[in-house]
Amino acid sequence: MNQMSWPPQVPPPPPMPVPPPMPVAFSGSRGEFFDLAKRGAALELVTLGFYRFWLLTDIRRHLWSNTLIDGDAAEYTGRGKELLIGFLVALAILVPVYLGYFLIGLEAEHYQAFASIPLVAFFYLFGQFAIFRARRYRMTRTVWRGVRFWMTGSGWIYALQASLWGLLMILTLGMILPWRAAALERYKMRHSHYGDLQGSFEGRGWEFFKRGWWLWLLTPIAIYISPIAPFLYAGYKAIEWRWWLSGLRFGGVRLESSLPKSALIGLYWKVIGWMALLGLVFAVYLALCAGLVASMSGEGLTEFFKTPELMRSIPLLVLVGLGYLVMALAMNVVMRVYLTRDLWVTVLGSVNIIGIEAAANVAARGDLANALGEGFADGLDVGGF
Amino acid sequence: MTMDSDAPEISKTPPANAATYFDGASSRRRAVTLHFADRLEISDHEQTLAVWDYADIRRADSPSGMLRLGCPTVSALARLEVRDGALASELVSRCARLDENTPGRRGVAVIVGWSLAAAVSIVAVVLFGLPLIADRLAVLVPEAFERRLGDVADSQIKTMFDAKACDDPAGQRAFVKLVTAIRESAGLDTSVQSGVLSSPIPNAFALPGGRVYLFNGLLAKADNADEIAGVLAHELGHLKHRDSMRGLIRDGSTSFLIGLLFGDITGSSALIFGSRTLVTSSHSREAETNADGFAIDVMHRLGRPAKPTGELLLRVTGKEGKGLSIISTHPLSEDRLARMSREDRSASGPPLLTSEEWRSLKSICDGKSDPAKKSDPAKI
Repeated sequence: MNQMSWPPQVPPPPPMPVPPPMPVAFSGSRGEFFDLAKRGAALELVTLGFYRFWLLTDIRRHLWSNTLIDGDAAEYTGRGKELLIGFLVALAILVPVYLGYFLIGLEAEHYQAFASIPLVAFFYLFGQFAIFRARRYRMTRTVWRGVRFWMTGSGWIYALQASLWGLLMILTLGMILPWRAAALERYKMRHSHYGDLQGSFEGRGWEFFKRGWWLWLLTPIAIYISPIAPFLYAGYKAIEWRWWLSGLRFGGVRLESSLPKSALIGLYWKVIGWMALLGLVFAVYLALCAGLVASMSGEGLTEFFKTPELMRSIPLLVLVGLGYLVMALAMNVVMRVYLTRDLWVTVLGSVNIIGIEAAANVAARGDLANALGEGFADGLDVGGF
Repeated sequence: MTMDSDAPEISKTPPANAATYFDGASSRRRAVTLHFADRLEISDHEQTLAVWDYADIRRADSPSGMLRLGCPTVSALARLEVRDGALASELVSRCARLDENTPGRRGVAVIVGWSLAAAVSIVAVVLFGLPLIADRLAVLVPEAFERRLGDVADSQIKTMFDAKACDDPAGQRAFVKLVTAIRESAGLDTSVQSGVLSSPIPNAFALPGGRVYLFNGLLAKADNADEIAGVLAHELGHLKHRDSMRGLIRDGSTSFLIGLLFGDITGSSALIFGSRTLVTSSHSREAETNADGFAIDVMHRLGRPAKPTGELLLRVTGKEGKGLSIISTHPLSEDRLARMSREDRSASGPPLLTSEEWRSLKSICDGKSDPAKKSDPAKI
């Protein structure tokens, strides 16, 4: 209104989309994400978990499209249907693999009891393959300024590297973790591209170790004094995020992060607080259910609790199962709001980009990858964003 | 379009129709102007960069406060970004099929519907299909494979319980005599292997491929040969019905399908475990009841009473209370005793073991220190 009442003396500047001063910004509202997570959890309950593919897609679409880099928002072009198909294909491959695993395990056990345990290593390899391929899927669905990210490289070579490093991890009691992370990240980034800009990773294992060496010393203590474990984990994640972001390069574009070590502690404690609260609510609910069922059975309350009847009543079991499911989904919502959305925003707020001009005129390249890796990751329960 | 006559006179179209365009071939950001002709014309100064059919324009994800459009028929990734509200609503009103690719309510309903259909069919397969399949498949599994499975389970169990086979010669003779009598009456061939293992747990079990093991702990709790004979007959019943093979096929596929169904709801593993327990234990109870029936028949054929076995079970588990739990793998000991008493006949045949043989069987594990002080309930 104000603008309109003062006729401008000079022709007003065209309403150009003014790039915000921050190199990286997040424009999504927390309420919107919360609604998305709530609705997704409800649909997951109704569909017995099948909705997970679409929920995951919706979450990524929200986060990507609200992430503005140099004033332009990214975009996630993956769809839930692709994840479902990836899952089904992975299933078709995993079922015979599981069967073969069973038969080989049987042969191994024939010679020596529990000789089949080393075969678990095979699934570790498979899991690493899944992680690589899932990353490739996500990258090729990430678009910024009309140009997509893409990836080359071989999932199996990556899996082999990751497994060998994993072996070293066991031998060195985890001390080698920073160098493992650096080596694997180098492989992943070397094969990542934005248009014709090739990615690279400049983080050094030594830098990671320098910032976080005390974590290794404190971890054994945390096993005995569990309240310090969330502090340690939050510290570790913060150090890892900062180190990882600061090592990312795409051509001449360099990332930098100033995430303090304590940045994530609050988030983890909030999650723990919610978990405790939900656990309490669940306990009260259990007590109410037991009381209700006991009063329905017509016996005295104390008598009902004395008999093993309590554990055998079918209505009670159904009520408990339902309550448990609702609680699990509520925890899911909590985790998604704090550990996905809030973490994303916190980490993003710490990022600075240097030399973004190099991304001003990048030629589009690269093809889409399929969602098989995501399917494997889902089937094998190995994480990813 | 203009309703506000007081609005300052700004130069006609160009600035008001300003938008940002990415052509999908490079990341170059272009300030463009839009012309609403019979198609949407996107131009940079005088040069027309793209012409989009209104019917082909689709909405793309965007941050709040911005309309982002694409035209998949022309270029997969070309994007037009509009921040001006009036221009955005003008575009939305012209592009009739803007939201055609967004799933919306209808898409969600389709997902929910098919998920429920998948859930119903998985549950139906678990409840009705798998038992049938397991029954058919179990008989098709080659003996050799089953024996191999048995070998594996055998070495695992011996490692797990740290159990060794007892081989006191007199006890072994008595055991063989007892097993042979039951085996012949049960109509099983000589491939059945059996033995007593030194473990304080009062239990006995059958493994795939024809192996029956008795833990010493059960012998210690038994008062006479008939009690043990009934237990062995019960285990041979499992062998005869190939229950372990059936159980393996059924439980394995049940876990797999239920795991598939619940998938990724965090913390659902407890639920998966719970529902699997419900399903598999109901089958297991059925198998146990059948094996009990088999044991009763065998004991009758031998002219021996079945009731002592029921008494032994009750002695081992203690009173289990009333009502059948839907999560128990075995029927209640009381009910099993009641059934065995109901169908009991008085002894008409000779005792299966002499009292001398019974004593040596009891001490087959060399009279190790009292093995049955504190123990788990039997799973027989």
